[in-house]
Amino acid sequence: MKKNQSGRVDSCFPPHLTKILRVMKLSVLLTCFLSLNLMASVYSQQARFDLDVKDQSVRDILKTIEKESLFRFFYNDEFTDLDKKLTFSTTGKSIDDLMVLVLDNTEVSYKVLDNNFVVITPKSLIQERQVTGIVTNENGNPMPGVNIQVKGTTAGAITDSNGRYSITVTDPTAILIFSFIGYSTLEVPIGGKSVMSITLQPDLLSLEEVVVIGYGTMRKSSVTAAISKVEDPRLAQMPASRIETSLVGRMAGVNISTLRTVPGEAPIIRIRGIGSISAGNDPLVVIDGFAGGSLDQLNVNDIQSIEVLKDASSAAIYGSRGSGGIIIVTTKRGKTGSPKIKVNTYAGLSVPYLYDDWLTGQEWYDYLARYYNREFVWAGGDPSIPMWGDPRRPSRYQLDPVALSETQTIWQDVILNNAPIQSYNLSVSGGTEFVKYYVSGTYSDEDGVVITSNYKNYSLRANVDIKVNKVIDMGVMFNPSYRIKRDAPGSMNYYIKYPNFVEPQLPDGTYPRADSYTALATTMDNPLATFIKTINKSRVLNNLGEVYINLNLLEGLRFRTSFGATLYNSSYDSFSDVNRRTNGSAYSTNTNNLLNENTLTYSRIFNKIHEFNGLLGASFQRSNTRSLGMAATTNSYNNTIILTLNNAIINPTSTYSSKTQWGLISYFARANYAYREKYLFSASVRRDGCSRFGADNKWGYFPSASVAWRVSKEGFMQNIPVISELKIRGSYGVTGNYNIGDFDYLGKVTSNNYSPNDVLVKSMAQTSFENSNLGWEKTISYDIGLELGLLKNRLNIVFDYYDKKTSSLLYSVSIPAITGFTTTISNIGEIGNKGIEFEIKSVNLNGPFRWQTSFNLTRNRNKVLSLGSVTERIRTMGVGMNYLLRVGEPMFSYYSYKTIGVLLNDEDLANSPHLTGEMVGHPKYLDANGDGQITPEKDRVILGNFQPKLVMGMTNDLAWKNFDLTLTFQSALGFKVLNVDNSDYEGSTTMPAIRRGLVENQWWSTAEPGDGKTPGPGQYSSQGFRCIDKFLDNGSYCYLRNLNFGYTLPGDLTRKIGIDNLRIYTSMNNLFLIKDKKNLSWNVEGYTGGEVTGISSYPGYNWGTEPVSRVITIGLNVSF
Amino acid sequence: MSATLIMTGACTDDLINLVSESTLTTTSFFNTSKDMDLAVLGIYSNYQSQIQYYQLMELPGDNVYLGKWQTSPPLNELENLTVTSTNSTITSFWQGSYNGIFRSNSVLYNIDNPGDYKASEKDQFTGEAKFMRALNYFNLVRLFGGVPLVTTLLSIEESKKVPRATEDEVYTLIIEDLKDAISKLPLQANIARGRASKAAAVALLGKVYVYRKDWNNARTYLEQLFSEFSYSLFSDFSKVIKTENNSELIFVMKFIESTNGQSLTDNYTPFTGIYGGATAGGNLNPCWGLHKLFQAGDKRKAGTITEMWKAYKAGAGDPEVWAPYVNKYLVTHTYSVGCGLDLPVIRLADMILLYAETLYELGQTDPALIQLNKIRERAFGDSSHNYTLADIPDKTAFTDTLFLERRLELAFENERWFDLVRSGKYMTAMAYDETYYNDATQTPTVVTRTMKAYMKYFPIPLSEIELSDPGVLVQNEGY
Repeated sequence: MKKNQSGRVDSCFPPHLTKILRVMKLSVLLTCFLSLNLMASVYSQQARFDLDVKDQSVRDILKTIEKESLFRFFYNDEFTDLDKKLTFSTTGKSIDDLMVLVLDNTEVSYKVLDNNFVVITPKSLIQERQVTGIVTNENGNPMPGVNIQVKGTTAGAITDSNGRYSITVTDPTAILIFSFIGYSTLEVPIGGKSVMSITLQPDLLSLEEVVVIGYGTMRKSSVTAAISKVEDPRLAQMPASRIETSLVGRMAGVNISTLRTVPGEAPIIRIRGIGSISAGNDPLVVIDGFAGGSLDQLNVNDIQSIEVLKDASSAAIYGSRGSGGIIIVTTKRGKTGSPKIKVNTYAGLSVPYLYDDWLTGQEWYDYLARYYNREFVWAGGDPSIPMWGDPRRPSRYQLDPVALSETQTIWQDVILNNAPIQSYNLSVSGGTEFVKYYVSGTYSDEDGVVITSNYKNYSLRANVDIKVNKVIDMGVMFNPSYRIKRDAPGSMNYYIKYPNFVEPQLPDGTYPRADSYTALATTMDNPLATFIKTINKSRVLNNLGEVYINLNLLEGLRFRTSFGATLYNSSYDSFSDVNRRTNGSAYSTNTNNLLNENTLTYSRIFNKIHEFNGLLGASFQRSNTRSLGMAATTNSYNNTIILTLNNAIINPTSTYSSKTQWGLISYFARANYAYREKYLFSASVRRDGCSRFGADNKWGYFPSASVAWRVSKEGFMQNIPVISELKIRGSYGVTGNYNIGDFDYLGKVTSNNYSPNDVLVKSMAQTSFENSNLGWEKTISYDIGLELGLLKNRLNIVFDYYDKKTSSLLYSVSIPAITGFTTTISNIGEIGNKGIEFEIKSVNLNGPFRWQTSFNLTRNRNKVLSLGSVTERIRTMGVGMNYLLRVGEPMFSYYSYKTIGVLLNDEDLANSPHLTGEMVGHPKYLDANGDGQITPEKDRVILGNFQPKLVMGMTNDLAWKNFDLTLTFQSALGFKVLNVDNSDYEGSTTMPAIRRGLVENQWWSTAEPGDGKTPGPGQYSSQGFRCIDKFLDNGSYCYLRNLNFGYTLPGDLTRKIGIDNLRIYTSMNNLFLIKDKKNLSWNVEGYTGGEVTGISSYPGYNWGTEPVSRVITIGLNVSF
Repeated sequence: MSATLIMTGACTDDLINLVSESTLTTTSFFNTSKDMDLAVLGIYSNYQSQIQYYQLMELPGDNVYLGKWQTSPPLNELENLTVTSTNSTITSFWQGSYNGIFRSNSVLYNIDNPGDYKASEKDQFTGEAKFMRALNYFNLVRLFGGVPLVTTLLSIEESKKVPRATEDEVYTLIIEDLKDAISKLPLQANIARGRASKAAAVALLGKVYVYRKDWNNARTYLEQLFSEFSYSLFSDFSKVIKTENNSELIFVMKFIESTNGQSLTDNYTPFTGIYGGATAGGNLNPCWGLHKLFQAGDKRKAGTITEMWKAYKAGAGDPEVWAPYVNKYLVTHTYSVGCGLDLPVIRLADMILLYAETLYELGQTDPALIQLNKIRERAFGDSSHNYTLADIPDKTAFTDTLFLERRLELAFENERWFDLVRSGKYMTAMAYDETYYNDATQTPTVVTRTMKAYMKYFPIPLSEIELSDPGVLVQNEGY
């Protein structure tokens, strides 16, 4: 007996066993019990024995094994071989190894049957033969770990890391059963062959997939909550520098909007609508258990699966942070076997969707002349006075003939171009029984279609899992990344509207300015010069590192502790030499976010019918941030060679360092119970304390409960074969939100500037109200769901109805200015989100030609339920559009006058209600209350909302032989975007570029009324912007987000050159787009106004979003 | 737990009871005389923005019109006097004024906290806070009439219940505050430029009494200003604003280019800049109605308006064109970076004209004429253009002359709209307004407005009415 084992034995077994163990040492330990679903076969594969035998009979040895394990032996007592005495010592042996050892040199053999029965029979009854072969997957890759069983017997084998197997069969007519999780089980008669190579096909109908939930995993069939999942290899198929792009259109209730098409820019993810005004609506990202991660630090190739916890019952385990939903990311981990090398690479081009309806030359001049004349007439002038050079015409109505220059630059084409993208990823994974590893490195380089914009990413991931011994296993994750991003200098529309007559660059290399052609032109600098001479670069070095330790204390009982840290280091440098001025700044931010989580889990099946799973946990998190910033005094750079601030004078008022921090303490518990896999119950509670709230309200409670009934498990359902799965579930839960600034509850005193005696002083003033009652924003959600599987789960339907109510909104509420402040953060108001989600997965064809369709649909209705003491809030914007928060309406609805036509002529003007100062040709507004006047209080109406009414996604996966094709569609319907930037292209600024599509049909004069509906845009009179609903476009769209067509070279061919798998593909993002013809924005769903981040938000406001691009790439997936 | 050892090295409660390292709070501030000094400077910091509200003080009047490209509904409303209660500029001014008042109130509320005041510091700070509170209320009461009177720190609930005080009540507070400030503020020699001195308080109180038409009190304080302090008219009108710290400036807002600058200079600059000067501007143009009033020989014309203009980017040989622009604040600086030129809040010329008005109202026509001619003489460089009794045969003539002189002297200095209102001239002056002038055709662009008496006050911002409890804030008549 080895000493180091005795300690382990003593710790694991009750004392009364030690006596037996003294004679013969035997311990049985399970190496792995992640799931409750321990089947006998798993047990027989995984049970391990330590035996120390001295002169014992085989019979006695078998009896001892029976005592200490679940195995039961059946044999004829008369076999003399069983009396043979043996002496040996061994550790870590499986039952098979043990039987071979014990029955060596005897005339008997054995079989391990289901239920762990071991039958011992004389060898004379068996005619053995060996069958060998290799098992490959649909792509021709060898498959390790495939289970092979001889039908009707317990004889079995498993393929090795190269997919090879060898099995002994006794019956030449035997049938071999090949099975592997996630693949269709295949039965093959051996028919006398001794070599059989097999290809397994993925089982698209499998229901027994495992989903990751907060702090654990679960069989999908046992889940009582609404969870959506996407997993490898679907994800890595679509070339994208951002992981969100791969998720677009894949999950019901998860709306991903690409507001800005700038490389590296994060799309916005909204799960089941928006509920918070000021505290953010982003979901919580949990990466391998680290809560509070960020999707931008992940590489799509490294991801095994992404789960989205949508309802509160699943999200409540993350309590305080679950309001926006939870995204759980699980990265890839090594598996036992020899090293597997994978290379994923692609290269391609982004091609922007552009417009070709620009006016040039004479046509451009004529339009502007007409435009200025109309202005002149409105100002009381005589339009017959020549456009240029006549002093009777004020300069502001004159048009310099320079506009007729031969140079006709379309600035859109100068500052937008086709942009190359490329990405390389290499990963190595593998492992032994004790150490498993996954290591991956990525380099990607993506140019933006807006010139000079670029995004480079270098990242590394190492996941290592170590089995220390039978009790302890541990792991280390390490994910550093370095990202460099160069941004365009400003909103695209500023540059695109630049006058046509300006050359982008002169032969001498200089960049001419519009105001050097004519004094009447804009004073803005040459756009090309602006882009080239503005260098805004951010560099982010980020590392997510985590260590965990698992202690397998008892059967079913496990303790896990983990320590994680995100170390985030970003710097931003900017320099510009534009408009005859040099400017520059430098900022840096360091954040360390530390997290410790401790969980104790217990899972057990009692009497084979009561399945229990419990969790207790505690979590501690702290984040510290330090920021530094400084900026140059304008024009103080000594030269433009050295672009760092040591070459300039630092402006004292823009220089600072500051520190901030937050902390979170959480305790949580969860229990799941299932009765006969039919009735499922789950309940959890979490208590969170957060530093961001006032002393009186730091702690919040977040309970949840859910139930499900698997109707299909009932006896009466067995007679309805068409229904293979039917589950009805319901849940309730409370989640929270603390995404406000650190220390917002304090009455802050901050600095401002004054200069008595011309000496700069940081003067001080109180800038916020103290609110010691500031507490958690809470969301209460209900969800009712139905899961239906038909035709052996060939058709799966999931339907959910949810009702979310977010209350005690952390909301920067407007207060009377006589307090000294205009807003204060408080817990006021309620927002509701109700909706339905619908997911269908259908295996349309499952033969040699495979075709699977996933379709999802979400309908969300957002509604303001309460705003505290008032019933509405109007966010007024300078351009004439307002944003309305009104009880009963969706939040941030567009609110302004409704244009119903044009004031056609003097008579129309006299007879129509209008605003003071309006003239013929100006917009005619709806007199909403019919009182004969237009007033802001009574005649502004709701004009729409930025939130889609309906969002749909559809994915089609097709495969035939070695070809595969995936098509992903996304569509959003029923929302509006405020494309204010389009006003720049219709004449309202200085000699701007003009787009025909925007300026047709307008009113020119009483004699030329256009289509009689479109007012003339104006620059001088204030009505120009008041006709604001003109820029409110229907944003509805349908994109073919991705087409991915691949070909996998035949395995036999590639293996000859040492390659297991080689797939080449082409991928096309945004291949086509269907949209409203009248929506003439570059990005139909895009806007720059920001998301809902406070009472002053202006979502949907588009001021120069970058164009959507077709991204066409060719890629390669290789594995060795 | 091991966790907390790593995380904080202390007990877990520390995780959620963090202390902000970079933010002062109401408990950690207002405790020393230095704190109070900085808090007082914070009041001035607020007023740096308030003084640049040409949009309310000048734009509604007849001196300024918005040039081409200046398109924004709130400004157009103000220029056209089609103001609505949702006008965002009015709302911002209201909010800014009460923020300044709050800063005064929080100084006064905490004034007894420190125990380390030196000599007269406490008095000085009290005086400054009260002076600035009076100045903010003086702006509010002139723009809106009676407004909510706040002299202490309010809770949100309390703030919803404060109704408008009467105009008399507001003026009572202003006068009270200024009297207290006079008793507590030091002389200019003993306080930094850009902070309120005793003279500033005396001058402002004199001006307030003029607005109250309390002529006796006005005379008392104006005479105190002239006798007790040694301010004098600066000889060169064209430099009176551009020469910082000169003998005529009683109270100014101090600015430093770039680090703590103002944008008023930019706003009065033509859109495409000025040759050899500014690169660009906000394009606020001088009205022909004002322009044509300058008599030949009046140096104020050249010191206020430049007629011939050339864009910044024009060639050296390009001709200048007729495009008058305001040069009163024009100093060389970098566009949009913040101009360092100080902006006057109170200058002597205004006080002298107010004194002239006061004396006339008190029946002292000759002394009034003497005061008026002081301004006249500087404008023309000699006494040849002085007014005589013949010029002011009756009160109407005097008033017309006085307000004309005020308009010429104080153009673009945030006085015109108030003068139009208190003289009642806004009803006629704004009904017919000449803005742009076409020199070639010798024709002005005429803007006509239908004036209503109620327009003398701006509407109380609708949002403020809505944020108060129902019925607490009553809208001005006409809106």
